[in-house]
Amino acid sequence: MLEINNQYTLMKRRIDTEVLKAFFAGDLEEIVDTLPIKIIPRERVPNRCCVYKERAMVRYRIMSLLGVDIDRDDDELKPLRKFVQETLAQDPPVLPTLTTISPGCSSCPDEQYHITDSCRGCFARPCMANCPKDAIVFVNGRARIIEERCVNCGKCLEVCPFHAVVHIPVPCEEACPVDAIKKNAEGFVEIDHSKCISCGHCARSCPFGAIVERSGLFPVVKMLTSGTPVVAMIAPAIDGQFPGNLAQIKAAVLALGFAAVVEVAQGALVTAEHEAAELSGRMQAKQGYLTTSCCPAYMELADKHLPFLQNRRSSALSPMAYTAKLCAQRIPDSKRVFIGPCLAKKVEASKIDEIDGVISFSELAALFIAKDIDVREMQPVPPEDTLAFQDCREFACSQGVAHSVLRRVADPEAVRVLPVDGVDRKTVRTMKVWEKRPPEADLVEVMCCEGGCLAGPGVVVNPKLALRLRQGGNVAKVGAIPLRK
Amino acid sequence: MRKQRIKVRICVGTACFVQGGADLLLYGDFLDPELLGECDIEGTSCLGGCKAESRDRKAPFVEINGTLHANVTPALLVELLREVAHA
Ligand code: FES
Repeated sequence: MLEINNQYTLMKRRIDTEVLKAFFAGDLEEIVDTLPIKIIPRERVPNRCCVYKERAMVRYRIMSLLGVDIDRDDDELKPLRKFVQETLAQDPPVLPTLTTISPGCSSCPDEQYHITDSCRGCFARPCMANCPKDAIVFVNGRARIIEERCVNCGKCLEVCPFHAVVHIPVPCEEACPVDAIKKNAEGFVEIDHSKCISCGHCARSCPFGAIVERSGLFPVVKMLTSGTPVVAMIAPAIDGQFPGNLAQIKAAVLALGFAAVVEVAQGALVTAEHEAAELSGRMQAKQGYLTTSCCPAYMELADKHLPFLQNRRSSALSPMAYTAKLCAQRIPDSKRVFIGPCLAKKVEASKIDEIDGVISFSELAALFIAKDIDVREMQPVPPEDTLAFQDCREFACSQGVAHSVLRRVADPEAVRVLPVDGVDRKTVRTMKVWEKRPPEADLVEVMCCEGGCLAGPGVVVNPKLALRLRQGGNVAKVGAIPLRK
Repeated sequence: MRKQRIKVRICVGTACFVQGGADLLLYGDFLDPELLGECDIEGTSCLGGCKAESRDRKAPFVEINGTLHANVTPALLVELLREVAHA
């Protein structure tokens, strides 16, 4: 998978910022059709074939930011202005979460192993000796793979002393844990939404930016300008995503016009308590393993691909759901928006009445820049009593959920924990086996993103750095930058 | 004569931080130790660069010995520091 911050994601954030700036200035409709040109000026040295294609891609990105389902509504004759008018008039449907930009797709060749010119045609020929399918022949003293026989096992790559074998993947297909991505007859990417679990791994892997999430940002900025009080529910992963401490991040969120900001860790406490009770009950009754239920991509995975896990996973609602219910009670007549790193949360939120919108940290970052809010300069919100749920902020990290649950059972030593840290194709195969042979564990913690929510598709900061920022408050171990005043 | 130390100020204002500046804070991982030893690196509030962005001078900003540099990536930071160190 690509690094969180690469030229593509940074460009995306820039586009979001420009669009928001124009929206807040009140002239979005007027200038939106000129934005692709403004962002990609003639003088730019393009990363794609030419500036014109880059502009076309900026147009698509703006469409996805407006929530347009590009797969369905790619009317080339329609100016962006029209799309803006439509989105401002009526919120676009939330699902499906992902859409594709087929002109952006490079129609990568099928996955293959290939022997390069570095082959020395050696005497030992380990590639040939180790190939289980006799797919390697020698032509003119060099190894070559017979495509029809090759099963892409990769043995030859492992054994070649000259590193002459390369593996050429299709990044989106490789990243998708559930085979929901396929190339159509023309070779362009297509998502099978009946299989898709909205983990967002494909979008994060495509180096061309041909798979995009449909943003829910506009419904939220509209809410913020409507006069109804809007509560921001911030996911535990937010700590470490911005310079400044949590109290300053909260202040910054309030400065955007939210009426209140509530930590989802509060709801996580309810989840942890519920799961702890459920786990104890199951262990006493010797009913076998329990899985966590807070990762919405995992919930989709179980629903769509591993139905036997439906009665294995905890009946606890997610921290987001509990938090939303809490907020609805406390501040009636408000709207509630979840701000997090996750794409699949949109699927979950669409089933919960108390949640009115979902945006990502990356979109929050664009809001901060557009509104000229500098988190580190904010006056922190007054200290709150967070003692009861503080430890549940660790829900954002792999094994953090398990720890929070263990802290709430009578005999944590007796619980065997199995963390599933990141779900890929192989993990899904392993989990399939559980139907016949259950894992030797009492509590299985599943997080679809490796490292936990800190590595979700909507984050801003390299997870490694985010972890350090969360732990120390500054990057003292790396250097001595006091990020927190 | 003892060599002058290189003064590096990485902007950790929000605009820089979220547009790639955060990655610069991992300098301990990508700067070679010898070069790192010659630098005094600190984080700083908004350097003002983001308020005066132009077509090819955009966040993230880093100040090295008083000169403001734009569009700084980890690779560019290494390059800039090498230049200063060998000047
Ligand atoms: S935030 Fe870095 S220059 Fe303003």
